[in-house]
This record gives sequence, C-alpha cells and structure tokens, in this order.
Amino acid sequence: MAYACCASKNILRIAQCTTRLMSVYPSHYVSPIVDKNIQNSKGLELSHIPIKAAPNDVNDTIFYGELKQKFLNYITKKGNAELAKELLTKTFEAIKRTQIERLNLGGADQEKVITDAETLLINAIENSRPLLTLSAIKRGGVKYQVPVPLTQRKSYFLAMKWILDAAREKERKVKLPDKLAWEILDAACGQGRVIKKKDDLHRQCETNRAYAHYRWS
Amino acid sequence: MKMFRKQLGSLSRISTQLQRNVIASGAASRTAEMSTNVAPALDAAALDEFRTAVANPGEHSTLQSAKFYTIPVEQKKQIFTGGGLPKQYEQQIKTFTETCLMVRSPALELLQYIKNADLSKPAVRYVLYGENGVGKTLTMAHVLHYGALNDFVLVHVPWAPNWMKRPKEASNASGQEGFIDLPFDAAAWLVHFKNQNAQLLQKLQLKTSKEYVWSKRESTPAGASLIELVEHGIARIKYASETTAALIAELKQLATNNQCKIMVAIDGFNAFFHPITRIFSDNKQRVSPDRITLTQPFLDITNYDWTNGVCILSVDKIAMTEGYMDSYMPRYLLGKEGFEHLDPFVPIHVKNYTEKEFMSYISYYLDRHWISKTPPGFEKQLKFMSNMNPYTLMQLVRGL
Repeated sequence: MAYACCASKNILRIAQCTTRLMSVYPSHYVSPIVDKNIQNSKGLELSHIPIKAAPNDVNDTIFYGELKQKFLNYITKKGNAELAKELLTKTFEAIKRTQIERLNLGGADQEKVITDAETLLINAIENSRPLLTLSAIKRGGVKYQVPVPLTQRKSYFLAMKWILDAAREKERKVKLPDKLAWEILDAACGQGRVIKKKDDLHRQCETNRAYAHYRWS
Repeated sequence: MKMFRKQLGSLSRISTQLQRNVIASGAASRTAEMSTNVAPALDAAALDEFRTAVANPGEHSTLQSAKFYTIPVEQKKQIFTGGGLPKQYEQQIKTFTETCLMVRSPALELLQYIKNADLSKPAVRYVLYGENGVGKTLTMAHVLHYGALNDFVLVHVPWAPNWMKRPKEASNASGQEGFIDLPFDAAAWLVHFKNQNAQLLQKLQLKTSKEYVWSKRESTPAGASLIELVEHGIARIKYASETTAALIAELKQLATNNQCKIMVAIDGFNAFFHPITRIFSDNKQRVSPDRITLTQPFLDITNYDWTNGVCILSVDKIAMTEGYMDSYMPRYLLGKEGFEHLDPFVPIHVKNYTEKEFMSYISYYLDRHWISKTPPGFEKQLKFMSNMNPYTLMQLVRGL
C-alpha cells in the first residue's frame, strides 16, 4: 500500500500547481458515479455540483469489472474493441470449461475450485504484479541497473502486459483465447511463465540492492 | 425402477403444484430413497425444481413444461452422433456432463399432434419456423428422441444446407445427364441413418422390393435387407447418392404397406428450394438444388403421397444466403415453389423463452456453475439483454 501513498502524493503535486490544466474540465467538476445504489444515496448531495460526462466504456451491469475493462483495453489492437471483447469472452468461456471439468472430476479440494473466470483473472493479475523494477541510472559515467519501486498503476500495467505477452507468444495454430486462458489459470495458482518472470525480476533487484542508493545520490 | 421414477415424478409434480418448500420435499424423498436403497444420481437431481424425472418424451405434458429432462447416454449416442444437436450445445453437454433438454411448448404441441395423428392417412408435414436461435433444432431433437423410442424409422437430415453450402465433393452424376452427385455427403448421411436405425431395422427385417443394378458386376437383389442396401452405399461411395434414393423409395413403399412407420426430420429444409448454392458444374455455372441428385429423394419423401409417416421440417433464415434473410416466415423462406410443394402443412411457431422457461434456464445454469455472478437483479439484466432469446442468452452467459 506504500505505493498508493506515493501515487496520491503525485496527485497533490499536480493539484498544487496553478498553471493551466490539461483536463477539459475545471477542477471543481466531479467524476460521475457508476454504481446505481451509490448514485441514489448521493443524489441530493450532487444535485448542484457539475459532473463530468460519463465515460462510454463503464456500466453498472454484471458484465462490467474495473480490472476486466482495463485488461480489455490492453488486448485491443487498432481500436477493435469488439474483437477484444469477443476474445476475452472466449477466454472466460475456456477458463470456465476447464474449471468445471476439474470440478466434475471430483477430488478432495472440490470447494477450492473457483469457477468464476473474473475472480481468476483478478487473482492472476494480483499474483503477477511486480514490486520493484530495474532502471538504468548514470552515475560517474557508468550506467547502473538500480532497483526502483513501482507505483500501483505501473505494477498493474506490467502484470497485465506480461500475461498478455505470454499469451501472444504461441504457435500460429493455437488461438489466443485458449493460450490466454492457460496463462491466467497458471498465474492464478501462482505458477507459470508470468510468475517466473516476476520472480526473476525480483531476484535481479535483490542482487542489485547495492546500487539502490543511486536512486537519490 | 420405472415405476419408482414415475412415482417420484408425480411426487415432485404435486409438490410444485402445492407450492411447497422444495427443500423440505427434497429431504423427504431423499430419506425415502435411502430406505428403499435405490439412489442413482439422476433421481437425486430430479428433485430440483427445474428438472423432471420423466425421461420418456412420450409422457411429457404441460406439467413438465419448462423443466429439464435427461437423455440417457446410449440414446444420445444412437440418435445424435451424426449431428442433430447444435455444435455449441454439444459443447455445453460435454461441459455439464449430461444431455439435458428443456421441455418446451412447441415440442409438446408437436408431440401431441404426432400422438393423435391417424397414420393411415397421408403423411402430415409439420413446419417449424421462428427467429434465429430460438430452439428449432432442439425442438426437433426432442421429437426425434420421441420417434426413436417409439419405433419410428428416422430419416433425419441434421442440417440440409451443409450439402448446398459446403459439400465435401461434387461430381457429375453417372445415371442422370446434367445432374451433380455429392457422394461423400450421401455416404455420411447413410452412416447417420444406419447409426440411428440399426437396431430397429434388425427387428423389423425390412426387405427391398426390387433388384437394384449399380453396375455390370454390382447389384442388390430383390428381397435383400435394407441394412445390406445401406452398407453397400457406404462401402461403394460412388453409388451412395443412388443408394440414398433407392433407400428412401423403398422406405416409402414399406411404410405405405404398413410394415414400418417413418419419421422424417429435415433441418433447414428451405435450402432445397434456395437457388443459390456453392456447387459449381464443369462449366463453372452455379448448380441449383434441383440439379443435385441428393435433393430428389428428400423432396420425394416430404410429399403427401404415402402413409404411415410424419414429416418434421424446419425452415431457417441461416439456411439461406446473404440477401435472402429478411423474414423467418415459411412462405418467404420456401419461396413459391417450396411452399406449393409442402402445402398443406401444419406450421409450428417456435418462440423465445417464456418467463418461466427463462427462470428455469437460469437456475439450470446456476446449478451447473455456469453463471458465477449473482448480484441481486442479475436475471433481470440478462432478460433485458437477451430479450429471452435462447441463443443470445447462451452467448451472454458464456463470459460470466
């Protein structure tokens, strides 16, 4: 959670500067509320406050998930969101099929099998989030690989990117949804290529810990 | 065992009628099961609100409407190995490890007509029609199951447009000038026919009425069994189309002579009247379906000049090609020629789910762990999004 703190500091810094904002909206505009229940409870409170326009990719249905939507955006190529959606749906279908098969096979850990594909996706992303990364910093004419903490945003980005990269690295005959389903299932139970990649990065950061002070000196 | 199931069925019927607490009645009959020591998984499952233990489609009535019944594995294998269930439904069956069909009103209507039909009169044609993804094929599957259990010889074409749209191979017919043969498709159909009817044909001992000469050396003598005829067609793929024609002519005659009864089920029947196919003749001309040898016998058997049979035909928008999919009505899809060929027929409109059927399907999906997101009001969302269309619901629920 330390990184969340970091992020909020950044936001404060932006708020402090009184120069021109890049946003279309003046700073007193509030973001729209998606959840219908909260909307109803806050209705009166917001009645005289200007609200930003509603984003068109957010909705309050069972089909929407925040992280799922983000992941969808990363899958999208050339703005073809329709295709991305279809691919993710197929992925979820494949995940569900394997999980239900596992459930039907029986066994001791019947209760542990999660059949909800979105939960599995979230688990997979959380499991593959890195804490640190290496960045090249020049000190005394030499570039050092310095371990640097990641912001929450960036770590989510990297986790999703790695999962997707692992899924896209496949033979031509294999379809993306199938491979993606496997990668998600692997990462959700803490194994597989993505988790290995994260662990490798952490290990390298550990070996380069001696350079850590170059970040500030 | 059958008696016991019937009793259970009636028990659950009463319980639903009285709107009793299902869990209580379930517990009660579970103890009953324990005491009699007959506890197969099927009966335990039958206690759910949305299931019925009546596995014989002949006994289905409005009491079982909107409930699921299970087709036993052997019967499913016998009837549907060569097709007959949509591909995605097959996938669903595999995932859910059971073949469940919902008892719906169009199937019940059709079954009632068939049960009350006078078979000594000319064959009645029933035409299933409806929007895309509304359950025409599965209605047909339900009726086919009835036919298979009630000693009908099944003449079933799982999806007729396959022949017009993606034939395995097309060659010039040897017998008729200017006609096209689809030998592999015909052979595949013969295999399908054999799978469905092998047991019944063994029992009925049907014989051919005349000699069929295929070539100088090959012939099937009069009085040979129909199975021999079919097997010849499968073994000699070159003559498969002709064999199909011969087989169907024989069947028609046998049925008229009261030796067997026949259930004809053709899915996507309007493909036989749609002039645009993807088959090309030698001079690169599109071949219309009436120039394909395989269509003749199936048009012949859907005529009304024979008795002891029922014809269940479905007309489907997706059996057509692009630009001809404006309406799902039989007159539009069959065209003038096709409509006149079938006229008079009994139209059966297959519609979207009713409220009850929809809720039943949702609880079935929940039971099979297929839907895992259940915030309050999710049914309402699904209902709104799918318009209670079965296929759309299936597509929506995939990713949940």
